[in-house]
Amino acid sequence: MDINASVAKRWALLALLGVTLLSQGCQKGEEPVDPYAFNYPDYFPDPTYTFDNNPITEQGFKLGKKLFFDPILSRDGTIACSNCHVQAVAFADAAHPISIGIEERIGKRNAPGLFNLGFRETFIWDGGVTHLDFVPLNAIENPLEMDDDISLVIQKLTAHPEYPTLFRQAFGTDTINGAYFLHAMAQFQLLLISAGSEYDQMLQGEKSLTPLAKTGLSIFESRCATCHDGALFTDQSFRNNGLNASHESDPGRALITAANSDKGTFKVPSLRNVAATSPYMHDARFGTLEEVLDHYDVGMVDSETLDPVFRQPDGSLGIPLTDAEKKALIVFLETLTDRDFLRNPLFFRN
Amino acid sequence: MKKLLLGTVLAVTAGGFSACKEDQIQEEFGVFELEFDHKVGSSSLSISAWDDTNYPYTNAMGQVYNVTNFGYYITGVQLSGPDGAFLEDHIHSSANPDEVHGYYHILESEPASKSILLKDVPAGKYNQISFTVGIPESGVQEGATGGILDPAAGAWFWNWDAGYIGLAVEGQSPSSPEVAGAFNPEHFVAVHIGGWKEVASNPNMVNNTKVITLNFEAVNVGENLEPSAHLYADVAKVLDGPSANIDFTTNYSIHSPIKDQPFAGNLAEVFSVDHSHQ
Repeated sequence: MDINASVAKRWALLALLGVTLLSQGCQKGEEPVDPYAFNYPDYFPDPTYTFDNNPITEQGFKLGKKLFFDPILSRDGTIACSNCHVQAVAFADAAHPISIGIEERIGKRNAPGLFNLGFRETFIWDGGVTHLDFVPLNAIENPLEMDDDISLVIQKLTAHPEYPTLFRQAFGTDTINGAYFLHAMAQFQLLLISAGSEYDQMLQGEKSLTPLAKTGLSIFESRCATCHDGALFTDQSFRNNGLNASHESDPGRALITAANSDKGTFKVPSLRNVAATSPYMHDARFGTLEEVLDHYDVGMVDSETLDPVFRQPDGSLGIPLTDAEKKALIVFLETLTDRDFLRNPLFFRN
Repeated sequence: MKKLLLGTVLAVTAGGFSACKEDQIQEEFGVFELEFDHKVGSSSLSISAWDDTNYPYTNAMGQVYNVTNFGYYITGVQLSGPDGAFLEDHIHSSANPDEVHGYYHILESEPASKSILLKDVPAGKYNQISFTVGIPESGVQEGATGGILDPAAGAWFWNWDAGYIGLAVEGQSPSSPEVAGAFNPEHFVAVHIGGWKEVASNPNMVNNTKVITLNFEAVNVGENLEPSAHLYADVAKVLDGPSANIDFTTNYSIHSPIKDQPFAGNLAEVFSVDHSHQ
């Protein structure tokens, strides 16, 4: 067995085989890996989450996972979080470019992948939520998504044959409330840590990238990493990347900040697992990475809030890329897919 | 760092045990009651039903209205006195409602909420109170909290721009236009003051939580004493004040930090002291 396997792979094997493996960074004979511990590589930023208020436990994580897969959260009992956030595609939407809510209602944006959320400063494409705990409220109460009411959700859970026992086991409480519910949801989402890609294995000295992927990495570092920066592959800023001339249909970040300068800007998404999370952009307009790179090369549309990073000295817009560079970039982006994360049994429905 | 702190604590505990014990015996604590009364100008506030077409109040533009809901959060309560007496109300967030402390949701519709009993107040003379109206960043960023901050238990919370509504006035006015298909077409009026974020580069990202400081006639806190301060909150001054005057024909639905900002600017005038007593 490869002692240098990624964290995710070790979790997977742990659950599959029921055996105890040694922690990767540890010396021989040290403690076994706890699959419910918040472990992450040393090149990740510090977590933003308030673990003091909500320490992760096995029972809390499992409760959060059950809730994530349970359509009881929607008004008519038809839509679960997992409808639009599917593990095989890094918890993005596998089936619909724009997510579908109850009664076939069509949402407004593409459901983003869910991973490495404990390191994020803001959530949702427009950054309107600043704490992971509060994210699920948006899906539960949005009329185009679950169209429920959090107080009714708590009533349904309280009347359920299993949930009161599960909340007692997780939190020692006889009364289910919104805060415990949101804490359980957060515990599940916090452990969705994706740090086992080929790129991570390269960083950890376990593997080297192919020559073409290395070329792609060097193009990426010089042309893309201004925004898709650091270990999370996002600087967490909000930018207009030249999709539209007018921003009336979805003002993005300006919905939150009421600033004209933010019209048409959206959160820079992480590029981890990007090859698995088609389609792309907040409105799901591109189906392939080739289309995305063509957009950056020649497809940009000008508007007042277009990010300055895309304005070239000669007045042209975008990031010039040759076909060979695009090919190399895509090969590199594919090394960001964390296959162990996509099939980690820890996250499987019970 | 932890080890260092622990060492210090041990040293202090070991070295200063007898002195510390003596101090504790001498320290005396009491209670202080804070009561909120609500009025609209010179009238006391009376809550109307949704279908009530009587409009007992009049704004500065001469438009009549009634009030169906009024309330606010306060936190960060501090008491101080001329001789250095000081209380900082302990603030704690937890999913367990019994452990939540230092946050108060004052609601006209819930009389018990209008009285706050501060406990463990160091004995002494007090003549000033300060508190924050609204839930500031320090509270929002604690994450999900039980009790009065629980969205499933009636907390006033915005999902889309996550944070709490610090103060709300809801009512009806015949001057407010009927809007077909709107949330409430019945001449609805709502001012929900939220917003806690500030971004230096963006003047539109506003923090609408406000610290209010009020002086009152000095009272003594101590064992077997029951001092209290009675405060007013004036709904009329939320709607008409130094930084905003409401016009129900155009300004009947105020629900975002930037639109709230002028009304948040009125808050300094909203609260006043009625009296204090021993």
